[in-house]
This record gives sequence, C-alpha cells and structure tokens, in this order.
Amino acid sequence: MGELIHLVVSGTATGAIYALAALGFTLLWQASNTVNFAQGEFVMLPAFMMLFFIGTLGTPLWLAFLLTCPVAMLLLGYTFKRVIVDPLIRHGVIPLVIATLGLAIGLKQLVKASVTAQAQPFDSAFPNGLLTMGTITVSYADVGTLLLAGMIVIGLQLFLNRTLTGRAMQAVAQNTEAAKVLGINVQRMVLYTFLINAVLAVVTALLITPTYLAKFDMGESIGLKAFYAAIIGGFNQARGALLGGVLVGVLENLTGAYVSAAYKEGVALLLFMIVIIVRPEGLLGKPEERKV
Amino acid sequence: MTASPSLLEVKDIRKHYGAIKAVDGVSLSVDPGEIVGVIGPNGSGKTTLFNSILGQIKPTSGNVEFCGEDITGMSPLQLSRRGVGRTFQTLQVFVKLSVRDNLIAAAQEFKGTMPSRLFAPPDAGLGYHADEMIELFRLKHVAHLPAGSLSYGQQKLIDIAMAFMPAPQLVLLDEPCAGVNPILVDELHDLLVNLNRTQGGSFVVIEHNMDFIMKLCAHVVCMVEGKVLAEGPPAEVQSNRQVLEAYLGN
Repeated sequence: MGELIHLVVSGTATGAIYALAALGFTLLWQASNTVNFAQGEFVMLPAFMMLFFIGTLGTPLWLAFLLTCPVAMLLLGYTFKRVIVDPLIRHGVIPLVIATLGLAIGLKQLVKASVTAQAQPFDSAFPNGLLTMGTITVSYADVGTLLLAGMIVIGLQLFLNRTLTGRAMQAVAQNTEAAKVLGINVQRMVLYTFLINAVLAVVTALLITPTYLAKFDMGESIGLKAFYAAIIGGFNQARGALLGGVLVGVLENLTGAYVSAAYKEGVALLLFMIVIIVRPEGLLGKPEERKV
Repeated sequence: MTASPSLLEVKDIRKHYGAIKAVDGVSLSVDPGEIVGVIGPNGSGKTTLFNSILGQIKPTSGNVEFCGEDITGMSPLQLSRRGVGRTFQTLQVFVKLSVRDNLIAAAQEFKGTMPSRLFAPPDAGLGYHADEMIELFRLKHVAHLPAGSLSYGQQKLIDIAMAFMPAPQLVLLDEPCAGVNPILVDELHDLLVNLNRTQGGSFVVIEHNMDFIMKLCAHVVCMVEGKVLAEGPPAEVQSNRQVLEAYLGN
C-alpha cells in the first residue's frame, strides 16, 4: 500500500510537470488557435538559459530562474508571437503547425551545434532526501514539485478569474470579434497568453530538467507528453490539461512498476489513441463548432 | 481638417464586389443626440454600409468623418477608443462569463492604464456602472448567470447593454429587434429613448420593424440596391411611393 501511494504521489508530481506544459498548449489554442509543436523546445531552451546564468554569472539556481523568466518572455513569448505566429495565423492553423514543427527542429539543432550535444546535469530546486510518514515515503522533490506546480496553477486561475485583465483574456478566447468591437485590445490579451506560456515553460524546465538532464533533444519527450495530456484532458479546457497531465504521469509510474518499464513510454500514446477514438473532444473538453 | 457640425458624416461611400455594387454612393449625416433609422429590403446594403463605417470592411471609395476626424478604414479598436460602438445582427456575448462580467468586460479597456488594469480586481470600479445598466435593462435576476444560459431575447439585451457600457457618443445598432418578442420590442424602444436622453449619444439603427423605427427615429434613410432611395422624417419616408414600391413591389 505504501509503495502504491508512493508511486501515485511521484506520478502525480511528474504529471503536474506535464500539466504545466499542457496548460500552455491549451491557453495558446484558446486565445489564438495556435498549436505550438515547439512547446518541448520551449522547455529545453530555458533549461540552457538557466545553466548559462549559473555557469557564466555564478548565480544560484533561484536567481538563474528569475533571470530566465524575462528572457523567455521576450524570446519565447513576444518574439515568437510577432515573428512566427502573427504573420502565419491569418493563413489558418496548418501553416503554423508546420512552422512550429520546423522551429522545434531548428532550436534543437541550434543548441546542439552552438552549445553542446552532451547531456548536462541540472540541480534540483528542492533538497534531496525522503519524507517518511508512517508507511508512506515520498521524496522532497516530489512534494516540492507538487507544491510549486499547484501554486502556479492556482495563481494562474486567480489571475484569469479574479482580475480585470484575466476576464478580458477569457472574453477574447470566447468571442474575438465581439471583444474587438467592444474595444478590448485583442492583440495585447493574446500577447499576455504567450508571455504566460513562456513562464510556464521556464517553470516546467526548472522542475523536469533534474530528471531529464539538459540536452538539446530533451523537449521531444516533454513536448509530446504535454500534447497528449492536453488532448486527453480536452484541448479547449485548462482543467482538462491538468487532468490529462496527472493521468499520464500516474499511469506511467504504475505501468513502470507493475507491468514493465519498457511499456512506460507507451502509456501516454495508448491513452491518447483511446481518447481520440472514444471521446475526441477530450475527457473534460467541449466539442468545438467550426465556421466554414 | 475642417470642423463639421455633424457627429458622423458619411460621404459618398461605395463598396463594390466586382460588378456587384453592395453600397453605391451613400451619404449620411448624424447630428449629436440624433437617432437615425436605416431601412430597406434585405440585400439593400445596410449592413455593408455599417461595416464600411466601422472599419470591418474597407470601402471601395468615399470617406467617413467622426467629430470632424477622418476615420475611414480605422480598426474597431481605434473607433471604440473614439467613442463609437456597435451591435450585430447575431448575438455577440461572452457565453461563459456572467451577465455582470460581460458588461464589465465591455468597458474594461476604458478604465485606468494598462499596468493598473493588469492585476486590478475583476470589477475595477466598473461594478457600480454595470449594476446601473443591469437595473436599467431589467437583468438583475439573471446578473450572475452565464450569458450563454439565457434566452435569446435576454442575450440580445446584454449585447445592447454592452455596447452602451463605455458611454459611447455614437452607437450603430444592427437589427436590435430581430428575433425579439413584441413586449421586449416595446421595452427596447423605451430603453433606447432613455439612454439617448441620459447618455446623450447618437444612434444609427438598422431595423425591419417599421413601427419601432417610426416611433424611435427623427430621421429615416431608406436604402435600395446600395443607394439611398429616400430620406427625411419617418412619416414622409413611410408614405413615399418609391419606398412602398421597393418594399411591396409594383
């Protein structure tokens, strides 16, 4: 029983990391119909940025994290939107999908060629060691991850639901045309979403890199899992991304322990295929109408 | 730029789609506080005229002046900042937000500066004004329900209330009575008269409901095939032989 709880807790912690990246997917989709297949590389780049600050400036991890946030907002938020999304979005979803796939390849090769092809160690933001409560043993890292991811999600929900700007962002996601006519600055609201996505990517990098190690192709796995999580939970629902992420994380852990570690990586794909066949809108998603 | 006595001056607007002349040389003038009606059979170019005025489509030629400023081709956002609002034929509410939040969202861009709005509480001092509008539009009993859960007529009222939230100087209303029951049509008339008196704005109203338009407007323009067929006081336009022919056929 203790082992099962441990597996569920650590799976939930991993799932919470997937959920953060998946949340970015759903936010971008809702605000601007952008499907970002470079989301995994958006996690990889901040990992290397943090290593740069630590290695070059000798900053502690927390300061490197804080310094990376504005750089990521500028590069992965503002520049991504202005240079890639804005010119392509008017041509529909597909050109943007292709562009972000290309961006993913480009970013990977850029880091591989100009930084390193080797995996780099990355310190955990949390202390090593285990926390034992009776028969239950969990690691500080899992508890810390859950707490930080939980705080980010709650903070984001509070921003979206309890601030004037958050409500305006929801209004834009629900009806862009009406928002424009009512004088809501749609482009600025969409930009906020891109900036939030960039920060989510930095937090994801902070939490996942100690396990994955900083490597040019580390984004492939996290990007794919986040995409699966978003589809499983419902691409048009923020809550769906959270559910999808946690579900994938827990099932991966349980499969690894009780079935075979070899099948662990296939769990998300299997769940993704079942959801696509049985409930294409996702577990919590709502069917979307498309105007033709 | 010469100062214009009119609030809105539409000068010889044309919108052609190839050989089709959707709007063909329409001029229109709206004075401060005036309510102007635009009537005409389906396909006569009324909504295209609205879209040309409001920057939703680019007119082929002609220009639009608001308070003496050339606003031709300005974006809806720029027009909104200048005090021009509109409602659509189809509903344009934010379905998941509550009625009250819909009204607040409609005026949020006009409150404070961008950084001050960023983390401002959701009603940000607009709650009182939203509640006033809710009272005026008799939506108090549904104010906290998601807009999408209400009846068509109620959503229509929200739609109109939203357009008036920033207290615009000019509102263009596209068929406000479409799909609305007769009792609500009377209420809508009283509301618009009330808003015209209290907020002092000017309205341009497209409508097929003749009783509504004749009661509400001081000046009526009748469009047929993209052109102005007749204009003047409601009674005069209503009895114009050409207008009757356009509606009823020869």
